[in-house]
Amino acid sequence: MTTDDLDPLIHVPTRLKIVATLAALPEGDALSFTRLQDMIGLTPGNLIIHLRKLEDADYIGSKKTSNGSVTITTVALTSHGRRALDAYTQSLRDLLGGL
Amino acid sequence: MNPTPDTTAPAGNGGTFDPRQAAALLDHTTQQARRQFAPAQPWLLTIRGVVVLAVLGAVWLNVRGQHPYQHPTGAVVPFVVAFGVLNLIATVSVRRHATAGISGRTRLHPAEIAILALTWIAAFAALAAMASAGVSDAFVFGRFPVSLPLIAAGLAWAAIWATRSDWQSCCTGLAVAITGAVALSVGPVGAWLAAGIGLCVTLLGTAAYIVWRQHRSMVAP
Repeated sequence: MTTDDLDPLIHVPTRLKIVATLAALPEGDALSFTRLQDMIGLTPGNLIIHLRKLEDADYIGSKKTSNGSVTITTVALTSHGRRALDAYTQSLRDLLGGL
Repeated sequence: MNPTPDTTAPAGNGGTFDPRQAAALLDHTTQQARRQFAPAQPWLLTIRGVVVLAVLGAVWLNVRGQHPYQHPTGAVVPFVVAFGVLNLIATVSVRRHATAGISGRTRLHPAEIAILALTWIAAFAALAAMASAGVSDAFVFGRFPVSLPLIAAGLAWAAIWATRSDWQSCCTGLAVAITGAVALSVGPVGAWLAAGIGLCVTLLGTAAYIVWRQHRSMVAP
């Protein structure tokens, strides 16, 4: 196994942080965009770019809810995304075990 | 200016993201997120464990010389009440801070909060009814004040988290209910000490489990 075998969508520092942060929540829980942004330390524009890539691959899902005049966006790891992170973690283990 | 470098491609020296760096980042991020999302913080659980043992131990010292058993004297009651109020405020504040921005199973629904509050109110209402009905002091001011609320609230807590498959919180609730059952069985004086020890062990055990889980590596076997 080589580094090329690692999921290229997750094997990027920022996206790895996003996926790992969302995976720390219990399955089915979602996190607001603003708190995720605080935790990852990205600008909104940068975070949106990464979230779009993950959403296009169905690794995360996002939902907008309106609370009066305020619109809240929440993101959550999908079961597909959780499985992808598990596979990525296993690949890392295999790689590091062989190094 | 954007303080974050372009991270849409694998990063690091020479454009590569080393697997060791990835493993370290994965562990660091996961542990940090688990710490921040934890609705029950280990430090708070530890403080609560020590304080509950001190407070209920003080009540036990206060009543252990009474023959026949009457009730805790006025000197310790304010401490018990103050502990209860401070405990509630600290727990709610920390939980709110940890679950800010989270929606889903982690957050308690208003109906569940109402059920928990009602179990406490019902337990103390039952005590008041027993006192007015002339039930002996050994039960109304000894065995029941610590055992009934713990059994009721512990079982309600366990049931709520069992429906969400959160087995750690469910076990904590069951441990609290078992503590209440033990307190009920050991007599009016020993009930206070049994409750203090049981709650202290439960809280410290929960804190230790949470710390272990937060520091567990994602990558290392």
